Amino acid sequence: MRAGGLARQSSFTFLALLLLIACARHDDAPENGGVRQDTLEPSSSSVSTADVANLTYEQRQGQHLFLKYCQVCHGANGRGDGFNAFNLSPKPRDFTDHRYMNALSDARLLETVSQGGKGVNKSVLMPSWGGRLRKNEQGYIIAYLRYLAPSSH
Amino acid sequence: MKKLRLTFAISSLTFLVMLAISPLKDFFREWKWYQYEYNELVSDLPQRVKPAEIGIKQLWIQKLDRIDRCVTCHLGLNEPALREAKQPFRTHPKIDHDYEDFGCTACHEGQGSATTYRESVGKVVFWDKPVFPTEFMEASCAKCHKEREVPHAPILTLGRKLIEEANCIACHQMNGFEKQWTPSLDGIGSKVNRTWLVNWLKHPKAYFGKTKMPNFLLTDEEAGILTDYLMTFKSFPNNAALDGLPPALASEEERAKLLELGSTRFREARCISCHPINGRGGYVASDLGKVASKATAEWLYGYIKNPKRLQPGVEMPRYRFNDMELAAVVAYIQSEYVDYETAELPELPPQIPNPAYFEQGQALFKKYNCSGCHELGGMKKAEEMGPELKFIGGKKLYEIDFGSSNIEQTLPSYLVTKIKNPRVFSPVMKMPSYEFTNEEAQAITVAMLGNTDERIPEELKVYPKPQSTYSPQGEFGTLVEDLACFGCHTMFGRGRLVATDLTLEASQAQKGWISGYFKIPYSLRPILTERMPNLFASDAEIKVMVDYMEKVFIADSLERNIRAGRDEISKGRILYYEKHGCQACHQINLKGGYVGPALDNVGSRLKPGWIFHWLKNPQAFKPESIEPNNNLTDEEAEALTAFLMSLK
Repeated sequence: MRAGGLARQSSFTFLALLLLIACARHDDAPENGGVRQDTLEPSSSSVSTADVANLTYEQRQGQHLFLKYCQVCHGANGRGDGFNAFNLSPKPRDFTDHRYMNALSDARLLETVSQGGKGVNKSVLMPSWGGRLRKNEQGYIIAYLRYLAPSSH
Repeated sequence: MKKLRLTFAISSLTFLVMLAISPLKDFFREWKWYQYEYNELVSDLPQRVKPAEIGIKQLWIQKLDRIDRCVTCHLGLNEPALREAKQPFRTHPKIDHDYEDFGCTACHEGQGSATTYRESVGKVVFWDKPVFPTEFMEASCAKCHKEREVPHAPILTLGRKLIEEANCIACHQMNGFEKQWTPSLDGIGSKVNRTWLVNWLKHPKAYFGKTKMPNFLLTDEEAGILTDYLMTFKSFPNNAALDGLPPALASEEERAKLLELGSTRFREARCISCHPINGRGGYVASDLGKVASKATAEWLYGYIKNPKRLQPGVEMPRYRFNDMELAAVVAYIQSEYVDYETAELPELPPQIPNPAYFEQGQALFKKYNCSGCHELGGMKKAEEMGPELKFIGGKKLYEIDFGSSNIEQTLPSYLVTKIKNPRVFSPVMKMPSYEFTNEEAQAITVAMLGNTDERIPEELKVYPKPQSTYSPQGEFGTLVEDLACFGCHTMFGRGRLVATDLTLEASQAQKGWISGYFKIPYSLRPILTERMPNLFASDAEIKVMVDYMEKVFIADSLERNIRAGRDEISKGRILYYEKHGCQACHQINLKGGYVGPALDNVGSRLKPGWIFHWLKNPQAFKPESIEPNNNLTDEEAEALTAFLMSLK
């Protein structure tokens, strides 16, 4: 009787202890399996910097390439209003046109960048960049185009 | 007996608990939660992704002497299906360096051997290299990449450019930068007026927005003393002296007669290709908008006549004006580029200099290390250097004095703040203000963070190309020096790329066209701001330059005979307009784009061999060119060449 009580008591204590430890650990590794949403992103430094922090690596690289190669016709903001646009007919594509851009697959965009308008039955005024830009770089540009017209819009 | 049993029960219980702690602790390891979550995540994916084996994983990068356990939790780095997944499972972006070869912390920093989030990110005591925030990531490229333009690292490249242009190495020792040319101050007392100099010293950018001269935040008194000191230096380098004004500039009536000629020559010489006028125009030289209120007429006359005589090393061409044209240009500048604001101010009472102004001025000159940039009176260069910055990126946190500021206590935030506000951490600091924007300060910080003493195996390092030693001799060499060609053009790797690289000019352009271009340099590219000036070179001088080019700036391998029958020409026309859409960027007969040069009469300008080789691979000749490489076959390139050569 006494021994039974002791066993019950001890198992109870043990369970309580276990729970305590579990809780303590749990505080360090919070819900959803320990992913800390608030701290995983690189902490914003107290100094304000350019909006590079809002772009992914691929988008940033894409932006840089876009400004060098695409901006003259498609415009710095991708609205199809670069300074050379008014010499062209048909006009360069407006990349902020969500409905149009979101209907295009990555593969199709990649084809257009690499083979130009002539490769996808569009205007020959869009040059082919396959000989100039490497596959990686073309992918960066697509990533930036996706940033200009996010699919969730 | 009872007591004994109780003791036994308690001690065995304690023992049991103690035994249980260790497996429990192991069971609740932070990284395990991530691994369980990862496996749950991938089992829900439509694609088949291999789940992770539970356990610590690490990359051992022998060549960099690093062990990185980041892959214990970052499990989807190589998994394209996880491109949009939340961290730490997201796919690593495609970069040129595979993380399995280079590890994680070589670029990201942080504590590679740690196995908890907090410790691996490295924001813990005694870890000096926490993970770089995204905006400073490119600093790591600089550890190995010492070349000037680092591919895919635009922020680092910009930072290095800014450090070089701001001439930081005049005060701070740093590897890999070239000292910039800065004007000598000898003779400044005969060049400028006192009011201008006081205002300039107090706020250089108010006069010339793009000047590289920083603001030393001088008090009115300091600026006055320094000005009085500088104004005593009346004689020019190498004992050059001003000639005095020609009679044509002596009176206002005489000058008025010359204004029209002066204005024409001023425009033909395209001064604004290099000099801005009230902020508009080129940027490589000083603003001319108010120059008549800055410099004396004698100095303007003497300087335009022969810039290098009064200012050795300056990259201004000696225009071949005759005396009348020279006087006319000066008259025009005097009438046009006046600072009406200061001109209308009431005249100040004559300055009574502080009796000790010379000693005090000299002390200020030395205190702010003005001689780091400027020559003056044979003074020893760089007497008061700032701290050495060769290894600033490896600076330990405890070595940094954050003063009373409340910024985040990290090296990047210290550097950005310091560059933006050089004296914010202590009032005794002497660094001048460059008025950098946030973006510029960030870029400079990135470049500086890359200066570390970390040991990197030599085979991983990329060095800049060795400096070109090209130095043309003879008559051509004299002309190149006199006309300051290197100020805009590159030849055999030396010079600037404001204008075209001339190394292959004679293979590119026809002899007759080059000669004609010296006479009337028209704009090939409508969008450029910097345009070739008319130097008014004599026929004999032009002949010297063209003959030299025909001998030296030429490569036989670029010669090629192109068949230009009617068939080829019409085939080329179809390729031009209908296959490759060249008219998107180039104009012919006023139809087409503005991006590349107009191609009217290109058949009288370029050589067929050049067009052919250029079309095959434009970047082989100009790596920065944005001309697409269309992977043309020889036949296509020949047909296009035939078509273009038919445009005469």
